[in-house]
Amino acid sequence: MFGIIVGTHGIFAQELLKSCEMICGEQKNVRAVTLIPGEGPDDVVKKYEAAIAELDCDGGVLFLNDLFGGSPYNAACRLVIGNENYGIVTGVNLPMLIEMCSAQMMDDGSDIKALMEKAVEAGKNGTQTFHASQISDDEEEDL
Amino acid sequence: MNIVLARIDDRLIHGQVATVWSKVTGCQRIIVCDDEVAKDTIRATLLKQVAPAGIKSHVVDLDKAIRVYENPKYENEKCLLLFTNPTSVLYLVEHGVDIKSVNIGGMSFKEGKHQITGAVSVDDKDIESFKKLNEKGIELEIRKVDTDKKVMLMDVLK
Repeated sequence: MFGIIVGTHGIFAQELLKSCEMICGEQKNVRAVTLIPGEGPDDVVKKYEAAIAELDCDGGVLFLNDLFGGSPYNAACRLVIGNENYGIVTGVNLPMLIEMCSAQMMDDGSDIKALMEKAVEAGKNGTQTFHASQISDDEEEDL
Repeated sequence: MNIVLARIDDRLIHGQVATVWSKVTGCQRIIVCDDEVAKDTIRATLLKQVAPAGIKSHVVDLDKAIRVYENPKYENEKCLLLFTNPTSVLYLVEHGVDIKSVNIGGMSFKEGKHQITGAVSVDDKDIESFKKLNEKGIELEIRKVDTDKKVMLMDVLK
């Protein structure tokens, strides 16, 4: 199984994980790592290492960060550069996290790069629009 | 019609259904079977907008649901049926729709209902319908998502 670490500025990661659990149930192999004001990348690296020690990471570690170039991301880079079974995807959102939790549950042995691609796709597809003008009356869709 | 899941959830299509159940069941269609919702054009229109990618969603009244079930055109279609209450399920069953198990995901608390689990509240009419479904040998299991442990509704009704 691969481990998932959500790393963000502030408690976004914790709360995002809670939101995810509302939909998917309890997640055992996911950790939320937060950067609190006053902390730096070194602190976050330590938190990541502690999280990795707790997780089942046989299949690698997927970091889901909030912001490309931010401290949680920069800290993750330090770990990812030394392990080819680790990877980072930024712009984490709920659809992305849900998709990765369900991929984790299926545990089909996908490598980290395939998982990263899947995460990006889920994150993008989770961004949709709705406006009254988009309602179509395509009756042929009816049963 | 291949009914891959019959679920009572008065939120109808929402996070748990759109992301979890649609995937684990591999359904091709999500069919909301409810007389009230079918009459409510705004709600019906919005429900059709939120179908997960690659899955068609429909809102039909109960008699239409029975006609669709009987239509040989959909014989091999994998369908997820959604209901807001057990009385609708009973109506379909009494009209020949072959449902062997009902998943109860959520029935919200309203005046006159009492809460039997965190996500499920029932009134006398619901209880009556659940009892009739149970007498027909239909499994009634409470689960929010597929990885939850099944809680048997009849056990918590007692």
